[in-house]
Amino acid sequence: MMPLLKIDNLRIELTTRDGIAPVIDDLSLELGAGETLSFVGESGCGKSMTALGIMGLLPEKVGRIASGTVMFNGEDLAQASDARLREIRGNDISMIFQEPMTSLNPVFTIGEQIAEVLRRHQNLSNRAAWSKATELLDAVRIPNPKARVNDYPHQMSGGQRQRVMIAIALACEPKILIADEPTTALDVTVQAQIFDLLRDLGKQTGTATILITHDMGAVAEMAERMIVMYAGRKAEDGPVEQIIDHPRHPYTKGLISCVPHLMASLSDDRPELVEVSGIVPSLKSFGRDECLFASRCDRADDKCRSQRPPEMGFANNQNSACWHAGDV
Amino acid sequence: MVGEIENNDELLNVENLTVRFPVKRGGLFGGKSYLYAVDDISFSIKRGETLAIVGESGSGKTTAALAVARLVKAFKGKVQLGEFDFLNLQDEELRKARAKVQFIFQDPYASLNPRLRAEAIVREPLDSLEAGLPSGRQGRVDQLFKSVGLRPEQQRLFPHQFSGGQRQRIGIARALSTQPELIICDEPVSALDVAVQAQILNLLRRLQKEMDLTYLFISHDLGVVQHMCDSVAVMYMGKIVEHADRKSLFNNPLHPYTSALLSAVPSVDKKRREATKRILIPGDPPDPIDPPKGCRFANRCPVAQKICNEKEPPLQSVGVDHKVACHLVDERAKSPLA
Repeated sequence: MMPLLKIDNLRIELTTRDGIAPVIDDLSLELGAGETLSFVGESGCGKSMTALGIMGLLPEKVGRIASGTVMFNGEDLAQASDARLREIRGNDISMIFQEPMTSLNPVFTIGEQIAEVLRRHQNLSNRAAWSKATELLDAVRIPNPKARVNDYPHQMSGGQRQRVMIAIALACEPKILIADEPTTALDVTVQAQIFDLLRDLGKQTGTATILITHDMGAVAEMAERMIVMYAGRKAEDGPVEQIIDHPRHPYTKGLISCVPHLMASLSDDRPELVEVSGIVPSLKSFGRDECLFASRCDRADDKCRSQRPPEMGFANNQNSACWHAGDV
Repeated sequence: MVGEIENNDELLNVENLTVRFPVKRGGLFGGKSYLYAVDDISFSIKRGETLAIVGESGSGKTTAALAVARLVKAFKGKVQLGEFDFLNLQDEELRKARAKVQFIFQDPYASLNPRLRAEAIVREPLDSLEAGLPSGRQGRVDQLFKSVGLRPEQQRLFPHQFSGGQRQRIGIARALSTQPELIICDEPVSALDVAVQAQILNLLRRLQKEMDLTYLFISHDLGVVQHMCDSVAVMYMGKIVEHADRKSLFNNPLHPYTSALLSAVPSVDKKRREATKRILIPGDPPDPIDPPKGCRFANRCPVAQKICNEKEPPLQSVGVDHKVACHLVDERAKSPLA
């Protein structure tokens, strides 16, 4: 079966004061209909850049897709015109952002903001759009939707605003929903509600989801497959449970074990957390022909510092870009 | 609930602490009313241990910590810090006592003065609280930089030249400078990347052991809390609803809110995912300006009874080191959700 979204050898470049830096360097991935894929990594590793690249929302004049293809439904989004991308955005592919506080317009009611999408993309009449907006608020489980549709964003809590964002994103029943850290600004109980909601709505509408996060727990709970990004490159990808049980890249291993997780039962001993020393390298060193993780890796040898590791394949389509992947 | 007997190994003992803020009700003649951000809470921490206060945003955990350090004014209550009756100190005595309580803040980008060099930031509390002789202060700064894992030549740099994790290290060095006994850590790692979080958490635990520090640790991340604390207080709408040692709280949560909070944390542990049933708490907390008469959690509680809406449950002991404020929990210490 043809995947819904297929990215091949994508390279996104940013122009910085120090020259051109490849913030996404040779990334390939596939996303099937109804599937949930998760991007994991620290900040500055290119998770959000990939999402913006797919959506055609790269910062103007600074970022551009240098090479590679983004095939969606047989169409290459990397080559699509601005007008065509505007048609696709919000209709076939939509996005939820991290900050529910700042991503809604404070001077319009939420009903107006949901209805706008429907009028623009589905040519609904004003009245039909408003009644659909009320239905959508009900679908994202906002109590008393008939009255709340006239509320302004400041009258809602953070969790409710994120629900409104989800309602806007799902208004046109998109094929792909990109959720960029959708719950980072929210409390855990609200996060659990939002995850439940995304899962249920995904099942109902058959929407495929790309979940961008740094929380391995959230990945384990939500996604089937994941891609671990490091410094603009794919470090590892594969089925979520298999990677958590047996990571094949030292960075993935570090990401999993550096966080204190809640376990089934708690004992008295608390070992030191595994530290991944140092930080993500600066944009200047992106794109070098070496393993960019080498400076933080305790297995690094001369080969790691002089040659970019190719992807090594394992069972069930798990791949790791590490010279030592076999014995991690 | 708080004993009259002075326990010798207790460093901090907080009794009936209440913080309220005036709020204007609408309208021209709308009267003044008060929002009780922290409502009559009591807790204590033993020397060398860590108490974590957990809760969601708006539960009052930060306000409680600020009130303990006298950074907001407490309306009522008592804070006993070692030999000091901290809330009633004045002038010189207060200055001396302040050296014993220091704060590590959440945002390492906002909590350092951008115009000061790193060494000046760390030195500032030493000068203003007149801790130690002036001649020894530079040596103290050198030593602090070393113990938080920064290089000596980095003393001359300004905050913007450091990464987030390094800035938090400067914040920790500053907090340690006056040789405090109690350090209040307000979400010290939530602004940092996961890999850097581990570095800072390990550093905090190492320093605690080396310097016999006592931490009041504020966090919403239950994984981090589980790793750092010896006991936990769970807050909901300005009240402590459960207060227990680490193992009892995580293995046998009694208050329905605590259970719901724990069940909401996503986990990489497959066993835990299969064992936990998500406890749904629909809706939002009630209006804090006009809290309900009974239990504040009753409107969202899956097992609420009639009594819960009528009477406020007191925080009472249900076993060794385990206190809970719920009508449905008795001495047998069984969760009402079981």
